[in-house]
Amino acid sequence: MLPLWRGVVVFRLVAWAVAAGAFIRSWDRYPDHTAAIVLLLLMVAWTAVVTIAYSTHAGRRSRMAGYDLVVTVAFVAATLLTQPLTDLNESAPILTSMWATGPIFALAVERGRDGGLIGAVVISAALIAVRQRFGDQEIFNTTLHLVAGWSLGYAATTTRRATAVLREALAAEGATAERERLSRSIHDGVLQVLAIVRRRGTEIGGAATELSALAAEQEVALRTLMTSRPTSVGDRVDLAATLRLRATSRVEVITPAGKLMLSRRIVEEISAAVGEALSNVVEHAGEAAHAWVSVEDLGDRLVVSVRDDGAGIADGRLEVARNSGRLGVAQSIRGRITDLGGTVDLHTSLGEGTEWELTMPKARP
Amino acid sequence: MGADNAEGPTVTRVMVVDDHPMWRESVARDLATRGYDVVGTAADAPGAVRIAAAVRPDVVVMDLQLGSTSGVDATREIVAAAPDTRVLVLSASAEHEDVLDAVKNGASGYLVKSASLDELDAAVGRTADGDAVFSAGLAGLLLGEYRRLHEAPDDAPTLTERETEILRLVSRGLSARQIATRLTLSHRTVENHVQNTLRKLQLHNRVELTRYAIEHGIIDESG
Repeated sequence: MLPLWRGVVVFRLVAWAVAAGAFIRSWDRYPDHTAAIVLLLLMVAWTAVVTIAYSTHAGRRSRMAGYDLVVTVAFVAATLLTQPLTDLNESAPILTSMWATGPIFALAVERGRDGGLIGAVVISAALIAVRQRFGDQEIFNTTLHLVAGWSLGYAATTTRRATAVLREALAAEGATAERERLSRSIHDGVLQVLAIVRRRGTEIGGAATELSALAAEQEVALRTLMTSRPTSVGDRVDLAATLRLRATSRVEVITPAGKLMLSRRIVEEISAAVGEALSNVVEHAGEAAHAWVSVEDLGDRLVVSVRDDGAGIADGRLEVARNSGRLGVAQSIRGRITDLGGTVDLHTSLGEGTEWELTMPKARP
Repeated sequence: MGADNAEGPTVTRVMVVDDHPMWRESVARDLATRGYDVVGTAADAPGAVRIAAAVRPDVVVMDLQLGSTSGVDATREIVAAAPDTRVLVLSASAEHEDVLDAVKNGASGYLVKSASLDELDAAVGRTADGDAVFSAGLAGLLLGEYRRLHEAPDDAPTLTERETEILRLVSRGLSARQIATRLTLSHRTVENHVQNTLRKLQLHNRVELTRYAIEHGIIDESG
């Protein structure tokens, strides 16, 4: 916006110089030189006021352009003191000349198209009123004012929008850069120290083991935080990134490189099913069990596996487990995956842990 | 053990590359206590390439984020200059594409930095023996990469059914021994299958690089 305001200010200054030059050139046609000179001096004073106002941030945000319009109309009216109405009605030069159109541009820049049009209408009306005449010249000038006000206003609005978009883009870029900078410094510092604490703690043993476990948890949490990026584009969500958020020091999440974009509903259902399977691991395989969540892309289908290294269930006891409600969660998981047109397989045997295998089409059934 | 040393018993010679001094020294010290000969350390890619050429380590333990330089580039150059040198990536689990790139460019294993010292010790030993060090995460990345190549219409490598099956089990956290039991194969056979999935990808990558170089006039077809 700044260049447009600069244009408005420069135009006003040049227009005043033109008005002063026109006055000197038509010296003989002014009956009252004193009044004309006083008016020109007042015009330059007002020009200075608006120049300062339009050059400051606060001035541009106030209603300065509106006041400018009112004052300029007063100046146009005051030209009647320098020239008799009869002369103005003929072809006598009007003292304010082009200078009077300044507020049109200021309003256009400040308020857009509508501001420009209002300014053009008011200034044109004032000039017509002073000359008491509506001829070809007035029609031509009015049209020119309207077109200028409209187009500058349009340009100002477009520029304002483009500036806003650009500012947003720059802010987003800045945020990304800042995030990368933070990530790098976390990677170079905190993470390394946590990793060392974890390693040394395990070696020392005893109470240090607990510290080591705490460090390990924070290490995974920080890594996950650092690599979690916006995971959705419209209604498509990245399944790989969504599942990676479930990684802890005991849960490893294995995905292909890159994104795995699927519809939001499918991702939510899969993520919820994986969450249930994982809480089942903690509940039945024990806090110490490790789990692996893996996602495999088979082109048109997906296979998601949740496996733990807990005790597992002996073949004959599977029915008992089912009846005791231990596999109640299976119904919930099965429900979610069946709704997606997929299937659920549960593999378990004593000493081999438990593995859920969820297979489903990538597109909605 | 890895490369044959002319002077007496073979102690595995290791080099540690990481831009963070505290971590680098900690890993170097830990490996030394486990009986490895730490012959060098480096903080960035050019340094790693230069020092590796001078000290000829059996195993390079490589971080991928080396300040403004890349561990992937260092891996490619080190393996190209000395095919006997093996690179084990020890990296934050976050950088998926980087890990895949490093493996395609010749790294023979990948371990996350959150692995324990015992795991690191075992991984370096296996790398020196010429085995691939596979985490579940790397298996998942490889499965994804083969899937991507499968959709590309050119002469990309593919996995056999058995290889797919084994990679899938690795990606679900099963150890080679557990997989061997489940599929009633020998432990060695499982290891070989896993290594093959890696070698095919590395070979493909070399062919692609060479083709790219010829097409862009970087190297002459006749020479």
